[in-house]
Amino acid sequence: MTELTWAGSRVTDSGRRLPGDAGVWVFIFADTMAFGLFFLLFSRGRMGSPSLYRDSAQHLSVGLGVLNTLILLTSGALMALAVEAARRNERRLVQRFMAGAIGVGLCFAVTKVFEYSGKIKAGFTLLTNDFFMYYYVLTGVHFLHFVIGIVVLLILSAKARNDAIDAHFRVWIESGASYWHMVDLLWIMLFPLLYLQR
Amino acid sequence: MSIASDHLNNLARPRSGATAGASSTQDSREYAVWRLCLWAGPVFMAVFIVFWGVMGHNIPPWNADLPAATIANWFRTEANTIRLGMVVAMTTAPLYCVWGLGIGRVMTRVVGRDSLLIDLQVWGAGLTVIPVLVTTSFWLTGAYRPEALPDAMLQMLYDMAWLLIDLAYFTTSIQLFAVGAAFLKDRRAQRLVPKWLSWYAIWVGFMFIAECLMPFFKTGPFARDGVLNYWIEFTIWFVWCPSLTFVLLRAVRRIEAEERT
Repeated sequence: MTELTWAGSRVTDSGRRLPGDAGVWVFIFADTMAFGLFFLLFSRGRMGSPSLYRDSAQHLSVGLGVLNTLILLTSGALMALAVEAARRNERRLVQRFMAGAIGVGLCFAVTKVFEYSGKIKAGFTLLTNDFFMYYYVLTGVHFLHFVIGIVVLLILSAKARNDAIDAHFRVWIESGASYWHMVDLLWIMLFPLLYLQR
Repeated sequence: MSIASDHLNNLARPRSGATAGASSTQDSREYAVWRLCLWAGPVFMAVFIVFWGVMGHNIPPWNADLPAATIANWFRTEANTIRLGMVVAMTTAPLYCVWGLGIGRVMTRVVGRDSLLIDLQVWGAGLTVIPVLVTTSFWLTGAYRPEALPDAMLQMLYDMAWLLIDLAYFTTSIQLFAVGAAFLKDRRAQRLVPKWLSWYAIWVGFMFIAECLMPFFKTGPFARDGVLNYWIEFTIWFVWCPSLTFVLLRAVRRIEAEERT
């Protein structure tokens, strides 16, 4: 048996429920499906010219990829702690964890700037070959999701400072955190696909 | 394109006696106009698919990597089909704006008639008409006297049309974001538009950003006939329009019943 909360989340008899607003999950599901399609297109391209993809992947920095993975996972963990703090109604902790999630998250943008500029200087652009086309498109679209995520976290951070930490705020923060974890998840898929298949 | 009107103000006013009877008939007529406007969306889509899509060889479009002679030959041999297709597509293009105005009326019952979201939605729908009108005129120009134009010029007209129709995506994105945001504000126990459809609209508006990739490619998934930039992008938009219309037609019935009691 399930029942609906005011935010549209489904609560089961065991007390488990979908975090945040049920509608946000429609967006997350649709977006994840779109990335799933990207991954399929990439894999089909790779099957067509395995040596080109393998040789091109040699030019990507695994070190930066690992660093970016750690950055996003740490930021995601801090966001999860902020949600937990919101559930305990601890405003100061919510603010601190969120500041941490945003601060650590922004490091991803810094490493991306270094990575992109390095590749462009070395002559690898969107039009170099199919591998780099996918590299720039996939990481670029992911980066756009990252930027939107940072904006969402900044808005939530302002709400944590100014609004009551109540059921309404918890739906907001859980929704934002769910989106932020999707950004993590997509990177975790992108990283081995692009960087580790050599 | 403000949609506020004296008549709408009258709709919200309580009535009594004989005036109420006369007004009720007037209200029914007003809601009938709403419904008519809402039907304009699916009608636009249906006409667009047949006349722009099938007759204009846009399902899918010619691949951008084909030689100019192929495009030119098509303009010359199919000139009359293209002319008819584009003339009808141009004639019915404003129906998309009419649809937007119908949506705007339903939005007044969720966000209030002064909400900027309504203006954004109506402007987004209205501006979407412009690239449709302009691009169909490019295709029509190519088909007007193709025997007198060089191959490269006909190819250029075809390219110009596709670059504009794809890259003008953000006008529609504005409409999609505004519709999504407005109906998410609905505080009714049973919403006029389900939450999933509002989020779907926001997602479609967001997905359109991938059109920015189209000018960089002539083949592959991001080209104008590619899996993503053509098949996915057009399909998700074409699914949204009739789905929203279906939901809004039911919403109008509810609004009419609510406001009668």
